[in-house]
Order: sequence, then C-alpha cells, then structure tokens
Amino acid sequence: MSSHHTFIGAVEIGTSKVTALVGEYTGRDLTIIGYGECPSRGVVKGAIADFKAASDCTHAALEQAEKMAGERIDYVYLAQTGGHLDGFYNEAVVNVKSADNMIDRNDIRTVCELAQAKELPAGRMVVHHIRRPFRVDGRLVPTSPENLVGQRLEVGYWTVHGQEQRLADTIHVIRGCNLEVRELVLSSLASGFMVTTPEERQNGVLAIDIGGGTTDYVLYRDGVPHTTGVLPIGGTHVTNDLSIGLRLTEPQAEKLKLRFGRAIVQARDKADKVWLDGNFAIGDRQFPRQAIEQITSARIWELFEVVKKKLGNSFSPETCATGVVLTGGTARLPAITECAAKVFGLPAHLGEAPTSIADHLREPGQHTALGLLYYCVSRQSEGASPRRKGGGFLRGVSRIFAGA
Amino acid sequence: MSKETLELPLTRSWRDIPQAVKPRAMSREGRRRFLLRACRLLGAVATLVAAGWASWQVAQVWDNGSRHLPDAAEAKPIGKNLLLQTDGVLDQAWLAATLALPKKATLMDLDLTKLKARLLVHGQVATAALVRKFPATLSVRLTERMPIARVMAEAAGGERSALLVARDGAVYPGVGYDRDLIESLPWLDGIKLTPQAGGYAPIVGMDAVADLLGRAKLEADWLYRDWHAVSLARLESDGQIGVRLRSGTSIIFSAKDDFFGQLAKLDYILDTAASAHPGQPTVGEIDLSLGNQVPVRLIAAPAPAPAPLPVSPPSALATIPRIQVP
Repeated sequence: MSSHHTFIGAVEIGTSKVTALVGEYTGRDLTIIGYGECPSRGVVKGAIADFKAASDCTHAALEQAEKMAGERIDYVYLAQTGGHLDGFYNEAVVNVKSADNMIDRNDIRTVCELAQAKELPAGRMVVHHIRRPFRVDGRLVPTSPENLVGQRLEVGYWTVHGQEQRLADTIHVIRGCNLEVRELVLSSLASGFMVTTPEERQNGVLAIDIGGGTTDYVLYRDGVPHTTGVLPIGGTHVTNDLSIGLRLTEPQAEKLKLRFGRAIVQARDKADKVWLDGNFAIGDRQFPRQAIEQITSARIWELFEVVKKKLGNSFSPETCATGVVLTGGTARLPAITECAAKVFGLPAHLGEAPTSIADHLREPGQHTALGLLYYCVSRQSEGASPRRKGGGFLRGVSRIFAGA
Repeated sequence: MSKETLELPLTRSWRDIPQAVKPRAMSREGRRRFLLRACRLLGAVATLVAAGWASWQVAQVWDNGSRHLPDAAEAKPIGKNLLLQTDGVLDQAWLAATLALPKKATLMDLDLTKLKARLLVHGQVATAALVRKFPATLSVRLTERMPIARVMAEAAGGERSALLVARDGAVYPGVGYDRDLIESLPWLDGIKLTPQAGGYAPIVGMDAVADLLGRAKLEADWLYRDWHAVSLARLESDGQIGVRLRSGTSIIFSAKDDFFGQLAKLDYILDTAASAHPGQPTVGEIDLSLGNQVPVRLIAAPAPAPAPLPVSPPSALATIPRIQVP
C-alpha cells in the first residue's frame, strides 16, 4: 500500500441504523473499500439517548467496516442530525477601503468575519458557517470578489448551530473508539451533495433526506446551500401512526408500511383488504388497504407541508427550478415523489448515487454516509491538500510497525 | 460598519469540544487502537535508538579500523611470540613445532586457516582459535580431548603402537600426558580400527564406554584400578560391554541399564567371593546384563591328584550357579 493513502471513516449515527464507510483517499481519487452497518440502539430522533448502547453499535459498525477494508481508519467524518440543530442567516456589509475602490483581501476577510460574528445563545455551538455568494454594489459575484471594483461589499452566512451537549455526545461516541473526528457535517449537506449535481445546485434544488427519526433538508441556490433544517419526524412516525391507527405492534406496523404503505392514496375500494402476514397462520389479520394508504400518505403529506412551511420565503418555484430530490430510507415509500411534487408544486424525483458506486451502497439509506465522504473530500481538495500519511520520517517509521 | 469599531462576539464552534479521552473511557476496540498506537510510537522510538546505536557502532568500527591500519603496516616478525592457552597438556614447544612458522614471518604473512588445519590434524586438539595480536604476537587458544582408554594399533608393516581414545571416539597418539595416567587407562578390545586421512576413524559407541568408565572411576575406584581391558565386541549386537580384570575375571555390563546399580552388584559379588575363598580367585565370569539375575561362573577348585579313573571329568568348570543379588 502506498504511503500517500489516507483511510477515512464516514459515520452516520442514525435513528434506525448506524452506517460506517471506509474510503481510501489518494489525494486525487476516493475509493470505498469498507462498509459496516449495525441496527441503531440508544438513539432517539437522531440524538444519543443511551451512550453505552449507541457506542456499542457504532463501534461494531466501525469494526465491521475496518475488517472489510483490511485497513485502520486514520480519522472520521461524522454526520450530525437531530432536532436540536437550527440555523439563521446573518449578513454584513463593508465599504471598500482602497482609494481606487478595488476590493482586496482585507475587505473580504473583514466582511466575512462580521457576517460570522453573531452571538449564540448559551450552550449553543456553531456546526457550519455556510457562505452565500458575495455581492458588490448589489451585483451577485459567485466566486471571489478580490480585485473587483465597487463601493459596497456584502456577504451573508447561513449559520447552523446545535446544542453543545448533544454535539459532544456524538463526538464522544467516536472518541470512545479512539478515533479523531476531523469533520462534523450536517446530514442534509452530506446527502444533498450526493444526490444533486452542480448544475442542479446552481439552478436551485431542494434535497430532502427522510430518515428513520429525522428529516433533513437543504435548499440549494446559486450553487451553494441556502437554507438547511432538521425536523424530528421520520419513517418511524409513519410506523407509529399505523401502530396506533390499526392497533398493531411496532414490528407489525413496520411490516405493513413496507409492504402496503403509499404516499398517495391509490386504493378506491374500501373492501379491499390485505393480510398482515399472508401466511394464514393463527393471529394473521386483515386490514383495509385504503386505511393503510391514508395513514401513511397523511403523515408524508404533513411532513412535506412542514418542510415547505419551514423554508418559508426562501423557497419558491422560481428559485428552485430543478425541483425536489428525495433520499433516505423512507424515500423508498411508493408514490412519495408524486406526493412531494403535489406539495411543492415542482417536479420531484428520487436521488441516485453515481453508478460507479457498488449497488448495495446506492440504496437511498446509504446516501448520507456516502455523501459525507465525497462532500468532505471535495472540500478538502478545494482547500488545503490532505494530510499525507508518508509526510514525515517518524510517521513513516511508525507505519512499519502498524503492520498494515 | 467596520471591524475596528466593533468588538466581535466570540462564537464557539464544535471544534472547541475537547476530543481528549482517557483510556478507561474507551471501548475495547478503542483501547486496542490506543495500545496499537502506543506500540507504534514505541517501535518508532526503538527504531530511532537502534539506528543511532548502529550509526555509532559504524563510526566506532570506522575509527578503530583506521587506527589498526598503521599497526598492521608496522607488523614485526613473530619469532617466538606465540601465546598458548589450552585446557590440556600441550605446551609451547609442541605448538611451535606443529605450526613451524618461518623465522621472519610477520602476522600479515600468516594464513590462519592453514595453521588452524595444521593444528586440527592432531586428534588431541578438539578446537583451535588463532588470533593476530599486533604488532607481533600470535595467540592460539586450544581445547583438547581427554583420553579414556588405550588401544593397540598394528600398522600394515606389523609395527604396533599404543594410541589413546577420547570420549567422542577419536583415536590419537597422546602427547605430553603423564605416564601413570596412560598406564591407568584400560585397553580397548573387540573393535576394528579403520584408517582415515592419516589417522583412524572415530570408534562408534564410545559414549557408553565412557559413561561406564567414568562412573567406575568416580564411584568404585578400587574396582576400576583392576580393569585391564574393555571389550566392545557385543556392544552393537547385544548392548553389552565386556570388562576383563587383571585377575582374568570377565564381567559383562549392560549398556542399557544404570551402571551404578551394576557396579554395586559387582562389588557385592566380588566381596562375597573373596570372603568365601580369601586370597584365591574363584570367579571366572559375572554377567550383570540380565537385571537382578546375575549368573556367576566360578572357577573350579584345583583338581586333586590324578586318580586312575577311566574317564576324565566332562569339564574343568563347575556348574553356573545363579546368585540372587539384593
């Protein structure tokens, strides 16, 4: 193995499952070489509720991924979700200082610092500062405004922040495995990056990742994330609705949801019934198909309505020309794209990972972990070059003893 | 709005969350990773130390080597500067005669491999190490074989010579040994000497004989002193070692059994026989190779004056009684 290679772990601690991927990054190419998955325990609506249980399943997934990769992970990119995450927009304006009105680096740095400097409530911490395009005298500048001529330089940041304890809990789960968390990334940014193209992001697109316990969304405009959000609603709520509505246990409701759930009601015949198990065993029962579809569709419809409401004025069919892209495990629900199209009044489709990725990793439920790797690596290659494994004599010598 | 006029609030990022974690707070996998990392670090440090030490050693060798070069260039004739260290009886004179160094030879003129081979030709020398000590001394360290028995060899021309046999079976003409020591060694019998490269091939089975002789000398020296010859004739086939005493008595030992026990039995039997017939040898043969059953052949008492019997006795030997040895 070349000494230039870095082995990056991507971990998503979800409500229904924990996914770990190992990517081999050469500084130019990224290859997925390890995959581990473990049913999630101790996680409620994306937040750690039982540290021990969550740690055990996360470490199991990491161990599985490392075993498959046959390599040790150097550091981890961690996906972050949960209802505690919130965002706000803040902008700043500076007058260009130089006599010839040419914008220099100091102007840019000043305006960026001002736009990022907004006091957070106690116990809150910044997860992301997402910069929107600069404006020079009201004119949109998609790249750097350095050396452009103007009098007023404006910039705005969408700041994502979360509760300190919740963020620390997630990080400490990974640290318990003695791995460094190199990046903490909002789940919606990771999955959105995976299922949308740069053109779509430029034209405006809304990516919605419907997971087990949370729904993460990101609205892209002008090629950058414009607004993000997390709703503590997911596929488990649909299951819960079915469980209450049809008086079923959760596993039974989950089974019915997967087999007969739909995001748009299709069944017209009230007498059309389906069997719970279909094996004619004692205890097998019949349920009206229409009732199942009504319950699932109502919850999904409501979910999209809440997302639309949360987006508020940021979202409009004009600014989101590409439409809506759905991903996440619950996005497999039949007719969910039709439902999204009706709610948002825009075309909607299911997000797909690139065909170069192995089939079992192209499932909607894996898009966040995949996107985590690709998002961070693309940011890394845009910015500083990755830390090279063979970058020092000591490190080189120590690799001899790693046996890897 | 400008930066200079404003005190910017400090925003805390998730990167401010400390990531340090104690090993006891880690999971099993985390601790394993921690140990592995520590081992890697230790390995790296050890490698660095080893590399440093190796460099220092190389520097030392380089330095010493360059210091030795003038010594070698100034090597003087050895003359009589032979330094002998040995664990045996060979002396300086023997060494000088054997090496036969040219008078004006210097250390650099010597072929140590050839000289060593010259020493090892003598069977008495087991190992030899020769070291040049500049400017003019040749140091020789020898380990010698110790003789445990003698053997009489007869050359093709009928010339007979007494040779010594060591524990490993090596046959050699002994040099420098005390005459009494040589005289005390028993003779070997029942063997065939095979000529080999100016000497004789090692005798097979000498380990067992050496054990017997060593045990006898140590535990029953009064018996050993009377041993005249040791026969290996039936060692390979029956595992027996024959010993003939100066009085003519034959004793058969088993090479497979404990020699100490057999010597104890022998002592008991000889004592019993001596007390029965004081001053008169009465035992012809003792076979100790059959375990607790020890057949003893007695020599018949001197025959009375010949009587005019028509038929002589069938044998001069008495019947072979079996003595139960405690």
